[in-house]
Amino acid sequence: MADSRTDLTGVEERVVAAFMDRLRTAPLSVSPRIPSADVLWLKSRLIRQWEAQRQVRRPLDLMEPLELAAGVMAAGLLLAWSVPSAFAWIPRLIF
Amino acid sequence: MLTEHAFGEFYQRHARSLWTYVYRVTTDGADADDIVQEAFLRLFQTDVPADDETLRRYVFRIAGNLIADRWRRKARDERHAQEATADGSQPQAPDIDVARIFSELKPRERALLWLAYVEGGTHADIAESLRLARGSVKVLLSRARARLRDLLMTRGIERLKNGG
Repeated sequence: MADSRTDLTGVEERVVAAFMDRLRTAPLSVSPRIPSADVLWLKSRLIRQWEAQRQVRRPLDLMEPLELAAGVMAAGLLLAWSVPSAFAWIPRLIF
Repeated sequence: MLTEHAFGEFYQRHARSLWTYVYRVTTDGADADDIVQEAFLRLFQTDVPADDETLRRYVFRIAGNLIADRWRRKARDERHAQEATADGSQPQAPDIDVARIFSELKPRERALLWLAYVEGGTHADIAESLRLARGSVKVLLSRARARLRDLLMTRGIERLKNGG
């Protein structure tokens, strides 16, 4: 008996409003299991704290791969610079 | 930022009504628990210096967004859910008649009707809560009303007309 009209008559509008009013006061089949205000407050404070720590750590975290790359590059340069002179020392050590 | 005391009072005043709204829309108690908790947590993460009514609208908006996110995620499983409904099974333990009829509407229809009739939201409030274009709220709300009317006619609950 579905009606294709989307506009409601005055009576239908009252029926819908009455239904919604009844729904508003209808008992719930389940009860909320939400934490108390104290717990939620504490949780919120912890999240804020973690977020603040993350903000502080962010530059350090960003720099970490750069530092690693710079270290590897420096080690490579040092090796490239020292290998020829090391090879020059080998004959002297043998003879 | 809210003080602990102000937060406690705000929470006491509005947590229950927010939970009822979310539960009526999602028809899932566990989802309602998660969404309400998340909405309040997000409210406190933002520094919104505002009066009680503005904060209440704001937390309902956050919850509306979270519901919308969930139903978008769940849309992928819509076919499965429809099959379950076709079997006559309900997502939750049997509720009383009005709640059962309401749960037959689509989530967005439920949210629109609840916000309009129970929370008394304006079209602008509803649009904000459900991330809809302001202009489409009127049309969607009309459709939701018509769907509910059809359901009520099918179920023969016209006695509600007389408040019975």
